[in-house]
Amino acid sequence: MTAQPLPRPGDRGLEVIEGRAQTRPRLRPWLLFAVGVIIAFFGLIVSRISLDRSAFVLDDLDEKIAAAESQHWDLRLEVARLQSPDRIAAAAAEMGLVFPESRTVLVAPPVLDEALEPEYRWAQLKALLSAQP
Amino acid sequence: MRRPGWRVADLRLVLVAVVHVAAWLAIAARLVDVQGLHAEAFAERGLEQRVRHEELAAKRGTIFDRDGVELAVSISAQTMIANPSQLADPVGVAKLLAPLVGVEEATLVERLTREGSQFAYIARRLEREALDNVVALVESLDLEGVYFIDEPKRVYPAGGLASQIIGFVQDDDGVGLEGLEYEFDEVLAGTPGALVVERDPFGNPIPQGQFLVDPAVPGSDLVLTIDREIEFLAQQALTAAVERTGAIAGTVVVLDVQTGEILAIANTPTFDANDRSNLDVDRFRNRAVTDVYEPGSTLKVVTVAAALEEGVVTPSDVFTVPQKLVIHDKSYTDTARTGEEEMTVAEIVARSSNIGTILIQDQLGNDAHHRYLSAFGLGQVASGQFPGEVDGSLQPVGEWCKTTCGPSTAIGYRVDVTPLQMAAVFAAIANDGVWVEPHIVKEVLPGRGAPEPFEPKRRPVLNAETARTMRLLLQGVVERGTGTRAQIAGYTVGGKTGTTEKFVPGEGYSETDRIASFIGMAPLTEPRIVVAVVLDSPQGELEGGVDLRFGGVSAAPVFAEVAEAALHLLGVAPDAG
Repeated sequence: MTAQPLPRPGDRGLEVIEGRAQTRPRLRPWLLFAVGVIIAFFGLIVSRISLDRSAFVLDDLDEKIAAAESQHWDLRLEVARLQSPDRIAAAAAEMGLVFPESRTVLVAPPVLDEALEPEYRWAQLKALLSAQP
Repeated sequence: MRRPGWRVADLRLVLVAVVHVAAWLAIAARLVDVQGLHAEAFAERGLEQRVRHEELAAKRGTIFDRDGVELAVSISAQTMIANPSQLADPVGVAKLLAPLVGVEEATLVERLTREGSQFAYIARRLEREALDNVVALVESLDLEGVYFIDEPKRVYPAGGLASQIIGFVQDDDGVGLEGLEYEFDEVLAGTPGALVVERDPFGNPIPQGQFLVDPAVPGSDLVLTIDREIEFLAQQALTAAVERTGAIAGTVVVLDVQTGEILAIANTPTFDANDRSNLDVDRFRNRAVTDVYEPGSTLKVVTVAAALEEGVVTPSDVFTVPQKLVIHDKSYTDTARTGEEEMTVAEIVARSSNIGTILIQDQLGNDAHHRYLSAFGLGQVASGQFPGEVDGSLQPVGEWCKTTCGPSTAIGYRVDVTPLQMAAVFAAIANDGVWVEPHIVKEVLPGRGAPEPFEPKRRPVLNAETARTMRLLLQGVVERGTGTRAQIAGYTVGGKTGTTEKFVPGEGYSETDRIASFIGMAPLTEPRIVVAVVLDSPQGELEGGVDLRFGGVSAAPVFAEVAEAALHLLGVAPDAG
């Protein structure tokens, strides 16, 4: 086996430049980072505003619910007042309604058992319908 | 070449620089102090200024009748207040607002012109309609120094109906003062909640700020056994009877015999819980449970029922009944009879014979008699759901004298009862001998949790056969005895009249005043209700000289009126041709 020398750089047409290396600044990542930060910042602000707005909307809704509940009870109260027998009796008296002086008790005859049967009721209904002109 | 020296301008610049640096250093030092060294303390102080600990008022429970109609309800109302020192023209404001808020102008002027005052009520608890008018006016005139605050208001939509039962709350703090509002105050009041909230200087909540809420637990609702329509008709009939007879006061109790539910309690005189100004506190009393009286002849049903149950008499047993009976130093008489008569037990009851009943009690004996009086609930609180309810008076049998105590008790003296206790006695007879605890609260509906229905106590007092026999005897009272004025068209009715001399503490028995009562049940074929009517000191006479002081004359017609209306409202079919 025989040793061979390494190929020399000069042999490929490349040469070493002495002094500080001239590197091109890599701006893009920084720019992207800055834009990202700005977007995140504004995003944060927007989300905060949105949340605040939601809080105001919720607060507004709470007030509306409270007002509606209050109105609900007011209306129930109004119904109870209007249905008060005292008021109805007074209104009836104003309209000239009076209790009857004499009353007749009518006792309805007992209902026949067969009247409860569907066939009987159908027969009644058919008879009624056939009697129609 | 001259070396440059310190010029004035340079000195000035140095001075400015030093001042600037010092200022910045001071700011920096303060910053370090505020943000670093004492940051926590300052943050806490800031929070203290913004955070408010507020109490969340619990909504007071509503009181409903048996059909869910509101009898007492809390509504949100607004109170109008003013800072007189901020009012440009207090007198003008008073004149403007007085007619709208329903406060006298002079009163309002006095409130708003008080020397050095910074707070004055203009009107408390304005309801919606009045409030809308006032708010519109305040806004249109841009009145300064006038404010509104929330203050719940308790309203009784039925007005003067069942006022003594429901009671009322104190205006200022909403605490129950009378009636069920007082007795069930803890149940109705609920538990206040707490709110921790960050607010800005104007009192508005800061969004995203601290907000901790421990919600208030609303008070439980009460569902009563009262039927508003029956209550109204009972009140109408009683008021008319008191006016007609000139009685001092009166009470009507309507009971459902099977469930023990109180369908109505009416009292006269009464009051409107919404307006209690200038009222005599006497009107607040629920006489059906707070007032006692000697029941007189209505208590004879216990004497006779006990004798029947013990088997010492039967309805057809005949007694020789004298017109007058003297025992020891006391004489007993039957005012409606002359001379000695042979009377059956049924006749004794129908004609309400004092002496006949005393003869029956003599066969029964004091021990057994007392045992039944006690079993029927006398001498014990009947319901326990009313404030101020009394247990009456029934002496232990060991303290009864051997001479007149038994006879007097047999005809309804020496025993103090409430109208509700007596209604429960008759209800037991109507309910086949089973005594059921009368009650007014049907159900408690908690703010959170399941409804809590009230389960009344029950105990058998008579067997069903004895109770049925008693009902037949009571039917005789209404059909041919002292209670004919209690008859109702279409229904079979049984009942008993009662008339006792009124006992006036410190004076003894009145020679003129009577307690007139009638207690009855209907329909007798399947009893549904018991109605007790008690009138205090009715006076006068009907046409033909009939004395209104007797229960059969003054109280029985009230029974008929109330019972008929109640049966119709309850949809009970007529049982008599």
